[in-house]
Amino acid sequence: MTSGPRLFSILRQGSILIASIHTALDDSQLERFREDLIDRIGRDRAKGVIIDVAALDVVDSFATRTLRGIAEMARLRGAQTVVVGIQPDVAFVIVQLGMDTGSLVTALDLEEGLTHLAATAGASIGPAR
Amino acid sequence: MAAAGRADSSRDRPSPAEITALIPLVRRIVASRVPDRATADDLVQETLTRVLAASGRVEPGMLEPYAIVTARNVVASLWRDQDRQRRNQHRVVDLRPPEAPDEDVLVQEDRQAVAEALTRLTDRERATLLAHEVSGQDTRSLAAELGSTAGAVAAQLNRTRARLRVEYLLAVERTEPPTDRCRPVLLAISGGDRRRQREVDAARHLLECDLCARLSEPLMGRGRAREADVRVPVQSDADVVAARSAAREVASGVGFPPTDLTAIATAVSEVTRNIVKFADAGEVVIEVLEEPRRGIRIVARDVGPGIPDVDRALRDGYSTYDGLGLGLPGARRLMDEFAIVSEVGRGTTVTMTKWVGER
Ligand SMILES: [Zn+2]
Repeated sequence: MTSGPRLFSILRQGSILIASIHTALDDSQLERFREDLIDRIGRDRAKGVIIDVAALDVVDSFATRTLRGIAEMARLRGAQTVVVGIQPDVAFVIVQLGMDTGSLVTALDLEEGLTHLAATAGASIGPAR
Repeated sequence: MAAAGRADSSRDRPSPAEITALIPLVRRIVASRVPDRATADDLVQETLTRVLAASGRVEPGMLEPYAIVTARNVVASLWRDQDRQRRNQHRVVDLRPPEAPDEDVLVQEDRQAVAEALTRLTDRERATLLAHEVSGQDTRSLAAELGSTAGAVAAQLNRTRARLRVEYLLAVERTEPPTDRCRPVLLAISGGDRRRQREVDAARHLLECDLCARLSEPLMGRGRAREADVRVPVQSDADVVAARSAAREVASGVGFPPTDLTAIATAVSEVTRNIVKFADAGEVVIEVLEEPRRGIRIVARDVGPGIPDVDRALRDGYSTYDGLGLGLPGARRLMDEFAIVSEVGRGTTVTMTKWVGER
């Protein structure tokens, strides 16, 4: 578990955290991702969070709930979350699954996600004020 | 990659990785019965060696039940040996008597068992079998006599032989099966009939019935390896990812479009998660269908507590752990056919099918 390729990375850019998932994650790995990310939001005093899920093979009920949970916890800690990189097939399946994604803010890709955060949270990748 | 050995027969054999994947399961079975670590290690080794030796003769989907059966047998024979030693400890004399006199007894018992088994066939089955096996009458002339075809007679002979093997083993054991399901299961295994094995849920029965588990070992050797299903043993979170990746790969080979691949992988993820959350162990079997058209069938089976109210579990919003749903309603929407059989205290089997080009 400790060795091997990294499953995800969390990078700070100004007041924004960019969390990228690198591969298919199982449930415990997703939970670890959530914990690490929430932890970083507090430590880095982030205003915005971008989660890139393009590498996830499947976004099932557990993954959807986990993402929703992250967004909610981030909100309580003063940060806005945008999920980017949901593939068209994955989006179609999330809808068919009947998952409630109403509270999740999504954007097509990283760039759109950053634009959204700049507009709504006043967060940017420039130096923290 | 190319291991030593004949290429033709090695094609259907489980890979070393598949055998290795059995280790945690085998270890758990042995460890729960044998406290001593070193002894347990030996027994795990012995079990794996036996499974490996028999693997070419075992139906691919049967590998895990077979390993379980073998592990139990290996432990049981250890107990028998220990028991014998304990009972004989106080004796001073050499306890290894000449074995020879026993052999006559064995031959006679064997003959009696065959005779007994023959009486359990119908008159017609027995007459046809004896005419063929003993008198050497060929299937064509038998067919003419019976007003049937040679192919039908040959098929009937195969079924009769399968039954005879089952009845013979029961006669040797001097026992009647404990449940109604035993004979159909044993027959399906004896005949190497995979469709029938699935219909009677043979793999599950072997996990539950000690007698059939024991008898299946000699019967299993009869089965011929056919086209391989993909089997993924499921115990941990990581196995959920393994199962859905395997399903996606098989489905991709079948020719499903990308959206369907994701739908299938997601449905597999949902039903496999239930095995990890609710049951100790289980498996996912992925099978390619050709009839009535191309498709994929996924069977997720566990030995676990079962679902008390399946209808309710299939309704949205039903939840039993951590506020998370069972994921079953979603999985059902993603597939074309979806069936759950669950028995409280025994386990759950989810069977789902998707056809290429549906909707
Ligand atoms: Zn039985």
